[in-house]
Amino acid sequence: MSIGHRPSDETLTAFAAGQLDEGLALVVACHIEADQESRRRLRELEAVQGALLDAVEPIPMASGPNPPATAARAEPGPAAAVPMSETGMPKVLHPYGLGPWRPIGIRIAMRRVEVPGAGARVFMLRAGPGIALPHHKHTGVEWTTILAGAYEHEYGRYAAGDFDEADTEHDHTPCVDPVEGCTCIVAMTGSVQLQGWLGRLLQPLVRF
Amino acid sequence: MVPALALTVDGMREVGASAQGGRFIVLFDPNRLIAAIARSGDRAAFAALFDHFAPRVKGLLMRGGAPAELAEEVAQETLLTVWRKAALFDPAKASASTWIATIARNLRIDIARREIRSRLSQVYEILDEEAPEQPDAMLSGAERDARVRAAMTQLSPDQYRVVELAFIEGFSHQDVADRLAIPLGTVKSRLRLALSHLRGRLEDLR
Repeated sequence: MSIGHRPSDETLTAFAAGQLDEGLALVVACHIEADQESRRRLRELEAVQGALLDAVEPIPMASGPNPPATAARAEPGPAAAVPMSETGMPKVLHPYGLGPWRPIGIRIAMRRVEVPGAGARVFMLRAGPGIALPHHKHTGVEWTTILAGAYEHEYGRYAAGDFDEADTEHDHTPCVDPVEGCTCIVAMTGSVQLQGWLGRLLQPLVRF
Repeated sequence: MVPALALTVDGMREVGASAQGGRFIVLFDPNRLIAAIARSGDRAAFAALFDHFAPRVKGLLMRGGAPAELAEEVAQETLLTVWRKAALFDPAKASASTWIATIARNLRIDIARREIRSRLSQVYEILDEEAPEQPDAMLSGAERDARVRAAMTQLSPDQYRVVELAFIEGFSHQDVADRLAIPLGTVKSRLRLALSHLRGRLEDLR
């Protein structure tokens, strides 16, 4: 897997600080899971937080240390088993509920990812080879991680593991790979105006 | 081999403070304390770790705008988690400070978003188990952290402030610009310089 598109420093910093909206954070996490380089950057940014923790002005605690008398301490061992789910799904999606795939047109389907309390709407999109995804404009951001296949638009080709960080400035029409098709996970904030017949079909689903 | 975190700036401060108090001189070595908790549930080691880190976790959260009550709760829970997970701490992967900072980050999310049952801390834990596979992983976490810490002390006060705002307070670049009343481009260039300085220090090791 050769990854060419990664989150900006601003986005990865906010992710490392735990300050991103949960929906947006989940899509970033899907990319990080697939990309060693972004994992390495994340570790570095976490190290910066460790250094800030060392340097910060301490504030006295209201109550002192109080370890439970009989607290069971964790033993090193195999990491908690992650429940099995569909193969090829990012592990970071395991804690979340997924809706059923619903066809929303010819050779295009969508499934909702349930992220309670998130400001962004999160969904997966699967499109057959050669399809042009609906042309749309929106008022917020639209972040996408490609899970399988690829698409292409004026900013380049995005293949499995790539992260596409689009803001309001972008107004694009991704074209799905003519051979592999494309499955991706998307988080959107703001409202979306979809255009064309496919847009009208998609609209009620995006709005949830 | 993992060098003890002896004589960091904080270590020095502790030495100074206790010497002044005329009691004893301690080199603060969190790795040894965490190991003692893991080995035998050493309560004295826990108390020492608590005294050092709990007020810092609280300070970091309050610096980021958290109310005192929330900051206190996260700090308490963070140290309890350190007690419970001491045996899982791997000094080769990260320094104690970095490990504790990530525990605090995850607990802040859990506690602040309790009502909506956020699952985000599980996402961070899953990513944490993804081991980096490249040879670069041979650069131990402790070594990387020491480099990052050294590089941070070389940042200009202006750069340090934007790093602090972006990391602790989670501000977007635009928020940082508004807060400091400086142009957005200046924020971006200061952060870019700060991060490239940090990365430069890490590149030497590869």
